[in-house]
This record gives sequence, C-alpha cells and structure tokens, in this order.
Amino acid sequence: MNTGDDSNIVLLKNIVKIYPDGTLALRGVDLELRKGEIHGLLGENGAGKTTLMKILSGLIKPTRGEIYIKGKRISLRNPAHALSLGIGMVHQHLSLVPVFTVYENIVLGLKGAKPSKVEIEKLMNTTGLKVPLDSVTENLSLGVRQRAEILKMLVRNVDVLILDEPTTNLSPIETRELFKSLRNLKEQGKTIVLITHKIREVLEVTDRVTVLRKGRVVGSVETTKTNSRELAKLMVGREVIFEIEKSPRLPGEVAVEVEDLHVIGDTGVSAVRGVSFSVKYGEIFGIGGVEGNGQIELAEAIAGIRRILKGRIILGGRDITHASTKERYSMGLSYIPEDRRTGLAMDMSVAENSVLTRITYDKNLVNKAGFLRFNEILKYAGKLVKDFEIVVSALSSPARTLSGGNQQKLVVGRELSREPSVILAVQPTRGLDVGATEYIRKLLVKMRDEGKAVILISSDLDEAMSLSDRMAIMYEGRFTGIVDPRKVTEEEVGLMMGGYTIEEIKHGMSD
Amino acid sequence: MSSSSKLEYLTYLGNVVLALIAGLALGAIIISWGGYDPVAAYRGLFETSLNLADPYYLAMTLSYATPMMLTALTFAISARAGVFNIGAEGQVFMGALGAIIIASMKLPDALYLPLALLMGILMGALWGFIAGLFKVLRGVNEVVVTIMLNWIAFWIVEYARIYVYYDPYRPEKTISMPRSGVLPVLMPGSELTASFIIALLVTILIYLIMWRTRLGYSMRVVGIGLKTARYAGINPWITMLNVFVLGGVVSGLAGVLEICGRPPTYAITTGASNLAGLGFSGISVSLLGLNHPIFIIPAAIIIGALNAGSRGMQIRAGVPLEMVKAVQGLIVIALAVPGFTYMWRKWRIRRALRGETSA
Repeated sequence: MNTGDDSNIVLLKNIVKIYPDGTLALRGVDLELRKGEIHGLLGENGAGKTTLMKILSGLIKPTRGEIYIKGKRISLRNPAHALSLGIGMVHQHLSLVPVFTVYENIVLGLKGAKPSKVEIEKLMNTTGLKVPLDSVTENLSLGVRQRAEILKMLVRNVDVLILDEPTTNLSPIETRELFKSLRNLKEQGKTIVLITHKIREVLEVTDRVTVLRKGRVVGSVETTKTNSRELAKLMVGREVIFEIEKSPRLPGEVAVEVEDLHVIGDTGVSAVRGVSFSVKYGEIFGIGGVEGNGQIELAEAIAGIRRILKGRIILGGRDITHASTKERYSMGLSYIPEDRRTGLAMDMSVAENSVLTRITYDKNLVNKAGFLRFNEILKYAGKLVKDFEIVVSALSSPARTLSGGNQQKLVVGRELSREPSVILAVQPTRGLDVGATEYIRKLLVKMRDEGKAVILISSDLDEAMSLSDRMAIMYEGRFTGIVDPRKVTEEEVGLMMGGYTIEEIKHGMSD
Repeated sequence: MSSSSKLEYLTYLGNVVLALIAGLALGAIIISWGGYDPVAAYRGLFETSLNLADPYYLAMTLSYATPMMLTALTFAISARAGVFNIGAEGQVFMGALGAIIIASMKLPDALYLPLALLMGILMGALWGFIAGLFKVLRGVNEVVVTIMLNWIAFWIVEYARIYVYYDPYRPEKTISMPRSGVLPVLMPGSELTASFIIALLVTILIYLIMWRTRLGYSMRVVGIGLKTARYAGINPWITMLNVFVLGGVVSGLAGVLEICGRPPTYAITTGASNLAGLGFSGISVSLLGLNHPIFIIPAAIIIGALNAGSRGMQIRAGVPLEMVKAVQGLIVIALAVPGFTYMWRKWRIRRALRGETSA
C-alpha cells in the first residue's frame, strides 16, 4: 500500500499513545515529513512532542495508529529497526560512553566494516559538524558531544534525523553553528525534525512547523506563512480557568528579595543569568516557563543547595546569599523540591521522613542524651498523616512504599507544617491526580492567605496563572517579564515562553 | 518492622541457608578431590566450634567472632552511608600499635587499660580520618585510599614490631601488655575474654547511633542519596568524614582488644599474623549480616565458628591447613553472596529510582 507522493518520507496517521499509568500522551496525531525539509515540532511540556518522536524512532510502541516510512506501512520493533530504515534520534540526554573517545563512540555498535577516521573527517567537513575524534568524550562540552551524537547517526546513513530540544545546553554561538550544519544536511537531502519550545528557533531554521498541544496537532504550516504571534497562540492556545477561589491579596512587607542572581548549572553552562524579583508576605509569586530554562537552578540557589556565582538573596531582611541550607530552613524557609525522590529519603520510614528537613536544626527532636525523641517524631508523623490525608500502611513503612500522590502529600505536608514564613514550591502538583492537585493548590492559597510568602515555580501554565498574584516567565536563565496573570493575554504569555521579552511584545517586534 | 521487610529478611535467611549448603558441598568436593573424608572433616569442624556439649569450643568461636564483629561494623556504617570503606584492616593494625605503645610505657597499673583503649581508638580514628579526607577533599575513591592505607599501616606496625617494640626475650613478637592492662578471661583455658562483652555492647551502641541519633540519621540519608541529603540541609562531606572516623574508632578498638583481650601473648606477633585479615573478614561478616549491626552479631559467630573449627578439621580429619583455608574461603564467599546481591540490588534499585524519567 502506498500513500502520499514521493516527497513524503514519513507519514504518521492517527497515532494514539496511552501510557501504562493511564496518561493519554497522544490523542490521534497525524504528521507528514517531506524529504529534505527541516520540520519543527513545537509545543509546551507534555504536549507529546517527545513521545511522538520516540514512537517514530522505535523506542516506544504506539497504542494505535499507522506508521508509513517511504510509502511502506511499518510496525517498528525497536530503535535498531528504525535505524535500519533510516530513522535516528538524538535524545535530550546524550547517550555517549564517557570514557570512550569520540571516534570509539561514533563507531560503537556498528556491524561490519567501520568507517575510518578519514571518512568521518570527510563527513565532518561536508556537514560542518567538527569534533575532535581522538579526545575522550567526558572531557568535551555538551555542544561537542551533541555533534558527535549527530555524526553517529549520520555514519549510520539516516535519512530522517530527529533532534530533541538540541539547543537546551548550547551557547548562542553553538546554536548558530548547529543550525548551519542542519541546513547543510538538508541540502544533502536529509530530513530533520527539530523538537523545540523555542519559537525563535522554529522561525529561524525550519521549513515547516507542526504545533502540538496536549497530545493533538493544533496546526501544521509552512514557516514562511506564519509568525511568532500565531505560533505562540497555537502553542498556548487555551483559556485559563481561574478555578481556584482566591480572595484579593493583602500583601505585607517584603519577604524575599533576589538581586541580579547568577547561577551555574550542572553542565557548567550558566543557568540563571541575572534574575531579580521580590516577594511580599501574603503573596504568591509564580515563575512559569518551559522546563529547563533555569527554574530548578534558581530554586536550588534560593534554598542554598547550589552555589551562587553573583548576586544577592535577602530573606526576612537578612542577607542569606552565603548561608547554609540548614540556616535558611531554621529562618523559616520551606522548600518543596521538584522531584519527590529528592524530597524524601525513600528507604527510610514515613516517620523519619516527616522530620527530614528539621533534623539538622530543630533542637526539640533530640533529648538530653543525644538520642532522637522517637515518640515525638511518631506522634508528629501521625498528625501529618491525619492532617494531610496521607494513605500509609504504617508510620514505619519505607517512604518508597507510598503511592506517588501520597509521597507528594508527605513532602508538601511536612514543608507546610514546619511553620514557614516563605514557601518555595517547585512543580508541587507534578504527576498527581486531579483531587490531590486541587488539594495542594488550595493549601498554597491558604498559606498565602495566612500571610506567608509563596514562590511557586511551575511549568504548568494553568497552575502558575491561576494561583499567582504576580508571575514571571523564565527563558534561558532570565525573566522575559513579570506580569499580572489576570491582565496578560495567552498570546503574550506564549511569546514570553518562547523567548520574547514583555517589552519587545508591547513595543512591537520584528520576526 | 513492616511485613514486607519481614518477608524480605525471611527470604534472605533462606538464601543464606542455601548458600551455606552450596559452600559446604563445594568444599566437600575439594576435600574428597584431595583424598580426604569430607564427612569427617566437617564433623571435625563443627565439633570444635559450635559444639554445644563442650563450652570450650563455643568460647573459642565467640573469641574469634569478637574482632570481626567490630571490623564488620566499620564496613556496615560506611555501606549505610553509601561508601565502600575497606580500611578496617589498617585501622586494626593502628589500634593494636596504639595499645603496644602504651604497653611500652612505665605507668601506674590502673592506667594501662584505659590509656591503651584511648590511644588505640585515636590511632584507628586517625587512620579513618585520613581516608575520609582524601575522599571528601579530593574525591579520591575510598577503595583505593583505604587499600593503600592498609598497607602503610601494615608496614608501620611491622617496623615498630621489629625495631621499636620488640620483646628482647622473644624477638618474634612485640612486648606484651602488662598483666594489669589485660581484660579478664571469661572462661578459664579459653581465649574468650571480656572483649566479647565490649564488642557486643559497642555493636548495640552503633545500632543506636545509626537508628536513634541525628548523626546516624544523617549518615543514612547520605547513603540514600547526596541530592536528598543536601536538600535536607545535611552537609554530606562532614557526614562522610564522620563515617570514616566512626569506622576507625570501632576498628581501632578491635585492634586494642586483640592486644588487651587475646591470650596468651597479648602482643603483636610476626608479620602481624594475629591481626592480619581481621578487617577483611569483617567485610564478609557485614555482607552476611546485611550491613545491619544487630544481624552482624550472628554473622560474626558463624564466621567465627569456621575459624575456630579449622584446627579441629586439621587434627581430627587430617586435612592439611592449606586445604582447610581453601574450604573456609569457599564457604565464606558462598555465605557473602546473598548479602552482596541484596546490597547490589538495593543500590541498583536506588539508581534506577533516581534515573527514572516520566516520558
């Protein structure tokens, strides 16, 4: 059976993906890739971009739907199978062997005759993807490693090259170089899929763009026939529902002040590049934006877990820029981390976890002989479990035996119960069901009404917009603007998430 | 203890029994391959170790278990904190040397024991501290550092035995601890002394430290994950240093007890032969005891029985010493397999948990 003309190299029809946990990631997606094009796949977190491409590269199987490659209907068995059909994907988390040289990595797993270094160098020259073949991979920057990954795919003669958020860890110069190489590859007849949330990149380098939202295609257009405003609207395109009842805010004095903060990320690239804001008591300050734009690093810097390169943080009138996490906690900072696996010591009991963030500073936990007051801890854990409706089999069960929702309630309950003045909540409702999400959101509003300052970092735009009194959007380590979520349009938010500053948007922009 | 962990422990116990049977069977093959009678050999082994009818042999078993209980704790503490500290061996040497230094001094009778304990523990702790410093300050792998420190300690002790603290009448050993500094023998004629009681108490104390104090809590959080530790406000590096020092303290104590509580010589003998291997046996004991202080007690007794029974195997079944050692090693390895896989699985699950991503 043949569908489409010769120009389409890949055709996905009505792809549905339901994950085993019931998440509906893709709700019937059609996608056509033409030979020799750069195709942008644009969308927010959780829109289904990566899932769709993992299906095309054979990594996961679709629940329903048809895949046609070069006109033939195919049922992909695994990534090797997809690769043999000329489809290769470079993942966001690179998968090179750190102690191997670049050359060894490129030829790793190749069957039959391996290409010589000379041949690879020739390939490097024609594509512009330059890497030092004899260097050990772990010593190289992420940009170089990424080029090596792309070369690895090219050596395997892929026709369709899928790149998942390739510019996340690249400097602007590296990004430009990468785009130049992608154009070279296109001229050689390769098809490239660029998964991204950055509108600028789509406009800069792609020929066509497909926008996904919540597992559906909401638009597929030629890039030259669209503009940033339209893409932003498509990407975000929703009415924000203020389902949370909130009384008008009565903010008090300044609780937290962050001044020109600079922080380095895990990969050595600067992750926070000059962020300033202040939060008052009785206020929820939201920080939105697509994940990976420095939000986590910002939170860790506020909590004292990540070293601050430059700038100041003031908590309750005291400069805490160089204070330890312990001191910050004892001063009334509560921190709900992005990942429950960070927020809980999974092998330790529920009771022990109920005091995890108090253990270092709270003298009431220890008796005169230096032993922990276990009865007190058990009593406290019991109260936490009751107050926050956490389902546990026993207080002595390891935290890992709890369901995800109950683990999160344990973290949230613990952090809200230790009488904080400032609450730093990062993705507090990630992966929770509707009921638990609602419950935690209401708690955060309650905390605000009780006069606590809340910093809410969330990539869930609904959440950030409906809960925040003021909201910033973070993009590549900076705020593209601080706005009142009730007075901003979805288009403006979409543009800010895609890298345009509020000033640019207000004063007209040049695409 | 929740029912799921109870089940886990029961499964483990079953695995240990299977491993023991496998180890004994493999040993039997070796024994018969050498032309000896495996039944007689094993009877010799058990009749001179876990023989309930003859308390002398039981006492010997417990005396062998004593130092291994302590060196096992060193490994267990570190394993709980996610560190692979195999420096107990060297810390035992340093602890014993500390005791001998005190023995060489002219002191009031009552001071020998307390000062020997103090000196030995300090020297053991110092040896742990050095390993910890390398790990914490320079990120050097603790296995490498502790192995090197083990050898350094060995040669320091050898030097001291030959040139400094040699016994002028019996130069193959060091001077002995004066009678006033030795621990009372619990069963006359045997080597079982009060050091067994001390080791038991210390094991319970370590259990309490690990599960009932802020220090132990912090150590266990560090073992679960550095990220979580930092999130909790725990300084992982200081905690790790504490792990190494506490480990050095217990192994240093083991060294002192081998001097003050091990008749008849109360000294370090040629090639530190009465100390060598105690630290490494501790690793097997700890693995067998799932790195849990309380389970380490029976584990040490099992391995102690193998040691105590080796003479019986030699004398009663005529199996040569080399073969006895080989068979013993085989059984110990077999016994450590379930514990090792248990720990391995836990670490792997933990890594998997950390690496897991929601697509």
